Formats: sequence, C-alpha cells, structure tokens
Amino acid sequence: MLSLDEMENLLPEMALVAGIVLAILVPNLGNATLRLPLTRVRIPLFIGGTRFTATSDPRLPARISIVAFSVAFFFSFFGIEGASGEIGGVIEVSSFSRMMSFVFYGALLLAAVATTYRMPARRGARAPRDKDSESRVEALVAALMDNRRQVDFHLLLMMVGLGMSLMAMASNLFFMFVAIELASLAAYVLVAFHKEEAVGGEAGAKYFIVGSVASATGIYGMSLVYLWAGDLDFDALAASWAAMDGLDPFAVIGVGLMLVAFGFKVSAAPFHLAAPDAYAGASSPVAGVLATASKAMGFVALFRVLIEVTMPAEGEALWFCIVAILAVITMTWGNLAALTSENPKRMLAYSSVAHAGYMLAALAAIGSGLGDSATTELVLVAVVFHLTILVLFKLGAFLVLGLLETEGRSHRLEDLHGLARRDPQLAGSMFIFMLALAGVPPLSGFLSKLLMINGIVNISAGTGSTSADAIVPWAETVDPVFWLAIAIVLNSALSLFYYLRLCLVMFFEEPEEAKPLRRARHLRRTILVLAVLTVFFGIGSGAEFLLDLVETAVSAM
Amino acid sequence: MITSDPLTFITLTPIIVGLALLILPHIGPASMADFVRRIARSLSMAIAVAIFAITTMLFLGQIGNIDWLDIMQGDYVFQNEAVVLLGEIGVRWTVGVDALSFPMVWLTAMLIPISMLVEWDAKDGHIFHPLILVMEGALLGVFVVLDLFVFYVFWELTLIPMFFLILVWGGDDRRYASMKFFIYTFTASVLMLIGILVMYFNTGDASLAGSLTDHHFDLVSMTAQAAGDGLIAGEGLRHFVWILLLIGFATKMPSVPVHTWLPDAHVQAPTAGSMLLAGVMLKMGAYGFLRIAVTIFPESTVVFTPLLIILGMVSLVYGAIVCMGQTNLKRMVAYSSVSHMGLIFLGIATMQPLGIAGALFMMFAHGIISPLLFAVAGAFKHHYHTLEIGSMRGIAHHSPWLAGHMMLGWMASLGLPLLAGFVAEVAVLIAFWMTFGWLVILPALTLIITAVYYLSSMQRTIFEGGDPHVGVLPESLHGEEPRDITWHENAGMFVLAAFTVLFGILPFIFWDMMSDWSTEFMLETLVDAMNSQGVKP
Repeated sequence: MLSLDEMENLLPEMALVAGIVLAILVPNLGNATLRLPLTRVRIPLFIGGTRFTATSDPRLPARISIVAFSVAFFFSFFGIEGASGEIGGVIEVSSFSRMMSFVFYGALLLAAVATTYRMPARRGARAPRDKDSESRVEALVAALMDNRRQVDFHLLLMMVGLGMSLMAMASNLFFMFVAIELASLAAYVLVAFHKEEAVGGEAGAKYFIVGSVASATGIYGMSLVYLWAGDLDFDALAASWAAMDGLDPFAVIGVGLMLVAFGFKVSAAPFHLAAPDAYAGASSPVAGVLATASKAMGFVALFRVLIEVTMPAEGEALWFCIVAILAVITMTWGNLAALTSENPKRMLAYSSVAHAGYMLAALAAIGSGLGDSATTELVLVAVVFHLTILVLFKLGAFLVLGLLETEGRSHRLEDLHGLARRDPQLAGSMFIFMLALAGVPPLSGFLSKLLMINGIVNISAGTGSTSADAIVPWAETVDPVFWLAIAIVLNSALSLFYYLRLCLVMFFEEPEEAKPLRRARHLRRTILVLAVLTVFFGIGSGAEFLLDLVETAVSAM
Repeated sequence: MITSDPLTFITLTPIIVGLALLILPHIGPASMADFVRRIARSLSMAIAVAIFAITTMLFLGQIGNIDWLDIMQGDYVFQNEAVVLLGEIGVRWTVGVDALSFPMVWLTAMLIPISMLVEWDAKDGHIFHPLILVMEGALLGVFVVLDLFVFYVFWELTLIPMFFLILVWGGDDRRYASMKFFIYTFTASVLMLIGILVMYFNTGDASLAGSLTDHHFDLVSMTAQAAGDGLIAGEGLRHFVWILLLIGFATKMPSVPVHTWLPDAHVQAPTAGSMLLAGVMLKMGAYGFLRIAVTIFPESTVVFTPLLIILGMVSLVYGAIVCMGQTNLKRMVAYSSVSHMGLIFLGIATMQPLGIAGALFMMFAHGIISPLLFAVAGAFKHHYHTLEIGSMRGIAHHSPWLAGHMMLGWMASLGLPLLAGFVAEVAVLIAFWMTFGWLVILPALTLIITAVYYLSSMQRTIFEGGDPHVGVLPESLHGEEPRDITWHENAGMFVLAAFTVLFGILPFIFWDMMSDWSTEFMLETLVDAMNSQGVKP
C-alpha cells in the first residue's frame, strides 16, 4: 500500500487512473435494480438497465478525460518545484519527471479538447428507420459510430498519458520499457482510430508493425544488457558501465539495439520511415500527440540511456560519432522530404523528423565530452525547453489542420488555400506556428534553437585555432562538433522555404471553398491561446519563467 | 516618460495604440467596436502628429537640450535604463540615438502623418491608418534600439504591416508583388540573422551576458569590443559575416542585383505604402549597413571597397538607364530610387568624411523627395486612373497643383541646385573625385541620364498637347474631365515640397550633425582600418 507521501507524489497519475475508471463506469450507469426476494423492496444497482440521461450523454467521456488531464496537468506543474520521492524501487518522482509529465499531459489535454470536434458526439443520434433515405441512413450510422467510439478513444488517450508519465518516472530499465509499451500500444490503436478513410487503418497497421519490431529490438538489447550487468536499475547500470574494463560486447550491442527502439520513438533517420505515413493517416490531434509527447518520451529514454548510463565522466562517449551522424542525416532528410511533400500533414511530420535531428545534434554535442558540466546542463535545458514549447506550436499547427479536417480536408496543400480569407484568425495563428517552427525571432522556436546552437558552439569553442586568419585553415582545426551547429543553421534556413510556402498559399491563393469554417469555439480559443503563448514564451518574463522551470527540472536529473 | 525616456515612448506608443485599434473592434461589444472604428483614423493621425512634435522638440533641444554636434563617437543620447528582456540569453531593451540615426527618426516621424494625410480617404481607413501607425513604431524601433536581437525583431516587424498594405490595398497585381517583396526581404534578413548570430557567439562582456549563454546582443558593447581587439578573431570569418550582413542590407536598400522586388512592390503598393517604402524602409538598409557592418567590421569594409564601388556604380547606371525605358510612372520613380541608392554605396566607398556625409544626406533627402514623387504618382493614378507616361498630355491645364508638385519633385530628384537632392549628389561626387579622380565622370554622366528621363517625361505629361487648352486625356478617363488633387493630397505634397526647398536652401540644419558624425567616424574607426589594410587615407 502506498503511503500518504507517495500518494501525494503520484497525484497526477492517480487523477488519471480515476479518470480511466470513471470513463469505464460512468457511461454504463443506469436504473437497474435488484428486488429482494419475497419483498417489494428494490435496491438500485446502477450498473445496467436503461441509462440515465446524464450518463448516456455521448459527450461525457470527453469531459471526463479533459477534467482528468487538466487535474493531472496542474498537479504536475506544481510538482516541478520540489517534488521528490522514490516508490517501490522502480519509480522516482523528481522535478525532471514532473516537468516531462507536465509536457505530456499538456499535449494530451490539447488533443482531448481537439478531438471533441474531430470526432463529434451528437446527442440526438438515433437508429435509422426504414423510411429514411440512403444518405440519411449513412449520416445517422456515422453519428452513432462516433458516439460509440467516444469512450474507447478517451480511454486510450488516458492510457497513453499514464504510460508516458510512468515512463518519465522510471528508474529501472525494465519498468521504463513496460511504461513505453503501455503508451505505445495505446498510441498504435489511436493512429488506426481514424476509420473514415482507408489510409487510417493502413497507417495504424504500418505504425504498429514497425513499432513492434523496434520495441522487440529494444527489448532484445535490454536482455543483452541484463546478461552483462545482472541488474536493470539505471544507477547500477551506470556504475557497471563506468567500471567496465574495455568494451563488453553484450553491453555495447545491447545499448546499440536500444538506440534503435528509441530512435524509432523520436523518429530519427533511418527509423523514421513509418512516421510520415502514421501522421498523415492518423487524425490531426493524434498526429500532434505523436509529434510532441511521443517524441518527448523518446528523448527522455535517450537521456536515461545515453546520458545517465553510458556517458563517461570525461572524454568522448562511445555513441558520439553515430549519434552525430544520425543527427545530421535526420535533419537533412527530414527537411528535404518536407520540401517536396504536398500534404501538409506529411510536411509537418517531416518537419518533426527534422526537429528530432536538431535535438539529436545537441545530444551528440554532449557526447563529444568536450564540455564541462555547465555546458552539458545548458544543452539539456535547451533540448527540454524545445520539447516543451514544441507542444505549443507543433501541436498548434496540427490543431489548425484538425479544424480543417472536420470538413474532411487537410491532406492536400490546396485545402489550405486562401485560409486567410476564409478565417483570418486561424490563418494568423498558423502563420505564427510556422514562423516558430522555422525559428524566427522573437518567437519561442528561435529561443530554443539559439540555446541549442549556443550550447554546441560553447562546447566546440576554443578548439579552433585562433591564429588562423582565414576560414579554411580555421575550419580545419575546429572540432567536428562545431559543424553540427552549422548543420542546424543551414537546415533551419532550408526549412524556411516549406514553412513559408504553407503561409504563402494561405495568404495568396484563392480558396477552393468560400464558406466559413466550423465555429468550434473551444478549439478556436485553444489555438489562439497557443499562438499567444508561442510569442509569450519567446521573449520577456514568460520565456524567463519557463526557462527557470526547465532549469530546475534539468538540475534534478 | 516623455522627457525621461522619449525614445521608448515614441517607439512603443504607436505599436500599442495601433494594435489596440486593430484588435478592439473584434473583441468588444458592438457599440464599442463602432466607436473604435469611428475614432481610429483621427486617433492614429493625432498620435502620429504628436510623435512628430516630440521628435522635433528633441531635435530643437526643448526636450533634453541636446547639442547634436557634441555627441562623441560611440555615445548615444536619450539612452534609457536598460530593461532586461531575456536575461538567459542576454537580450535587453536599450534605446539611444546619435547623429547617424536621429535624422532617420525625424524623417520617419515626419513622413508618417503626411502619408496618412495623403491617403486620408483610403477605403477601410479604420484598418489602414492604424496599420500605418504600427508601421511607424516598427520603423522607429529599427532606428533607435541598440540591441541586435530587438533590432532584428523590429526589422522583421516592419515587413508585416507593409505586406498587408500591399496585399489588401494594392493594385491589380498585388499578390505577386507582396509575395515577392516578402520572400526577397525575408530571405535576405535570415542571412543577416546568421551574421548577427556569429557576432553574438563572439561577444564576451560578462556584465551584459546571458546567464545561460555567456553572450549578449548589445550593440554598444559589440562596437566597443570591435574597436578594441576586434569582435571576431579570424579575418576570414570576419569577411564572411560582413558579406552576410551586406546581403541583408543591400537587399533592403536595394542594390543591383537584388533590387527586382522594389519596382513590383512600388507599382502595386498604395500611395502611403510606396511613400514609406521609398522614404524610410530603403534607408533601413543603408542605416543598418553603416551602423553594424561598417562600424563593427571597418577592415572588411576597406577590403571590400571595390565591391561597394561596383555595386553602387552598377545600381546607379543601370537604374538610370532602365528608367529611360519605363512608361509606367511609378516604375520609373522606383528605378530612380535604385539609382539614387547606388550613390549611397559610392559615398561610403569614397572613405572620405564628405562622401559619407553626402551618403547620409542622400538618405535624408531621398527620404523627402521620393515620397513626394510617389504621392504625385498616387494622385495621378487616383485622378487619371492610369500611370502610363504619354497616355495623357498637358496635365498642367487640368491639374495645375498636381503638375506643380510633379515638376518640383522631379527637379529635386534630378539634382537641381537649391533643392535637397543637389546637396547630397554634389557632396558624393566631390568626395568621389577626391578619392578616385577622373573616374567621377561615370557617376556624373549618369546624372545627365537622370535629367534626360525626367525632362522627357515632364515634357510628355505636363506640357505638350495637341491643343494647348485641352491637352490629350487618357482613355482610362472615358471622356470625363479630370479634377485637380484633393485638399489633403495637396496639403501632404505641399509640406514635402516645402521641406525639399527648405533643406535645399538651408541644408546645414541636418548637414552639420551628419558631417560631424562622418568626420569623427572616419577618424575613430575607418582611418585605423585603412592603415591596417595599407590603404592611404
């Protein structure tokens, strides 16, 4: 049994578990009664019978999940300052894990809000009658389907949240894998949940198969590591790694295989190939979750394995070269592919691959072992900050597409044509999101990119010969890490083209359809708030506040 | 606020008021929305006039009592207490002006109310005028901030109102023009940003540095560091950054070969947009080039002087020759801007105090004359529904005021003595002769080309006509009798024309501080650089 302190530390997760239980129970409550034998006394059972009006409301599951996520979100936020505690030997609550669950819950909360429009529940949906016309029957069936799917969807969404949050708190490799699987399996179903189109099922299947192979590879790697160390606790693994004499093949191959699994989660090249299909096939809010929360989860796993376990006290890490090369390939591939894609969702998917590349480059810079602890922390702050604000503008962009999707369009660039004329507010928000993704000052996307580049430059500074008086001799002397910064800058410049292209079609092309978009009041407000926050966290006190938060979290790592 | 920190006040007030006027009608109740819409135009004008008054008082010494000739190189007046905007990476809100930036500040503050006045009857005035007000804040911000991060933000911010001015109020081909405008200037400024970032990573003043990054964006400190040991150690990297900055600034100016956005943007932009574009936005490029590229990397400037001469000379000659072939009034004026901006590069390339002062005065004079020309062209379009030179003859008969302003503007632009343009051109040419000797023939001959295209257009539009009392009216009028310009157009042009004459007859009002700045700049910065590069000053 958990003690009171431990319960307090796990409040967000408790809220989520309560949400899951309520989502299962409440929609089934009805007026069923049990008659005591031989009497007329009827005892209400509540489970079964005819459902009450309140509990039969199809919008109920969405409300439950939104409340659960909000509660979890706020408790995580307050936990960032000073939460600490260890539970059962596998869970370690810290500022860092609370920061990450803050990010996860934030992303999932937004997805839950957006889904109420994406998969609308209609109160008046009824069974079709014989005299109804064919199209009417179809519409009614679709509405009923939507209603029935509400509980399933939100249950899965809450499970994703639970898995991710537990994963961030894991102090044991095995537990971490279990938590990742909990989140991933639910996420596979969510991808396939988009049943209106054939691509939804295909995307889900593809994502599931590739994801399972990646997980299996990772678990195989983990078992090799277990064979080598005899323990899966992160601290014990780190001690074994530090004490390792030479290179143990089990350990090295094990870590390498785990990199594959986590590389899939962050959609790093060459393990990213399923990601664009999955994003394009899934509904936009779900794609947004994959691009933000799921990616953050992969990076937490990378932090654990690469930085906590296998980073030597001094000198270059074993994985430095491979991660650096993968980073450059990932960002370049992502950007080049995004340049040529005509589907805005695929474009955002590839841009998310590119962003994974930037963050991997920052990680690689830490792996070079040239920096001291201060610069290492700076780079980690940059990466965690980037993961946090990605929720604002990456998910925001997906939510805009989600609103377009409610009229069945968002997979062609033409669907965005003339958005500024149809809906200036939405187009303005999208414009801000795109500029933030491209990293234009003073938006928050610039700040995180600047911090990452700054970290890399600081790490490589002083390695170049100062006596060199021309570019070429200087470039020959500087440490290769420096080129990662150049790669990020060049790739950002490249990425500007496709982000701007999307903006340009919004402002310059004639809309294919002149009628205004759905009102979707809550979603619209959410998008507007995200756009404002994207600016707010880019400069001034907002940015300082968030950076302080992230610094607190990272220093606890 | 106004007396203690006037620059922050004049920068932020228009942005805040303008944005409020744009946003309030969308969020408040209907009655308030109506009220805001009704006052938007007048309130924008009132703010713009107030800011012009404040700037003039700053200049005349009623506020702060500044002796503009007494500012040391590297010092700024009206500096504020720095406000930390983002301590983690070293961004601060610092403002200040010196003799380089103040004429531009005054010019901006002067042009904004005039451009509002000229387009007083623009459609959707409750959006149009607040947009121009936002534009004013962004433009002033570019000239007064001393922090490169904030500088860059304002630099980009100027794009957005201008973009919408062209896109919403522009001519028939406005989409193409605004897209081209946005892509050109945005891409160029991203290259400039890369240059700024390289500079950022080489800064070292610990007292200003960001707590996370150990670097800062403070321009004053960067300049001091550059004057000391040099901001960037490697010479190659220094040249590289200088080139990046040059691309960013030259595109804005614009110089050949990155000038092609300008004619399109000008032709399609509404009158007020063209006036601000030509009057102030082009000067941002020249200002940024002098303030950042030349000041921080003087050695690179000396090394690349031949490049500057080529760019300036080609812009000057090519712009003038293209002008001769234009039949569209606005396009002709736009290319003449390219041509005149070439003179600024030439003035800097002379490495003479006189040449640099001439370049500064060119920025200022062109900032008065070209808005006048665009106001004339806009009124022309407004009343004759065409911009084709030669489709009408003898407009002096129908629109005497318009013809008068047109003549004065063209004369000033071709460099008639006693008008503002002459001072700048002569200063640059003399300095050019002092440095490069008889090579001066080339720019001097170009002035003849300028005279040719202006005089021939003048003859074809204003005077010549089959019947001296009727002239030839363009078909676009469909036989209507054209009217003369409206009172507000006339008033705006009149003020500009008056300033053109004033600064032609009494150039020393601003010339003295410019010349003083150039001399000191030469002595403090460029002479050392020239010595180190083995060039005789």
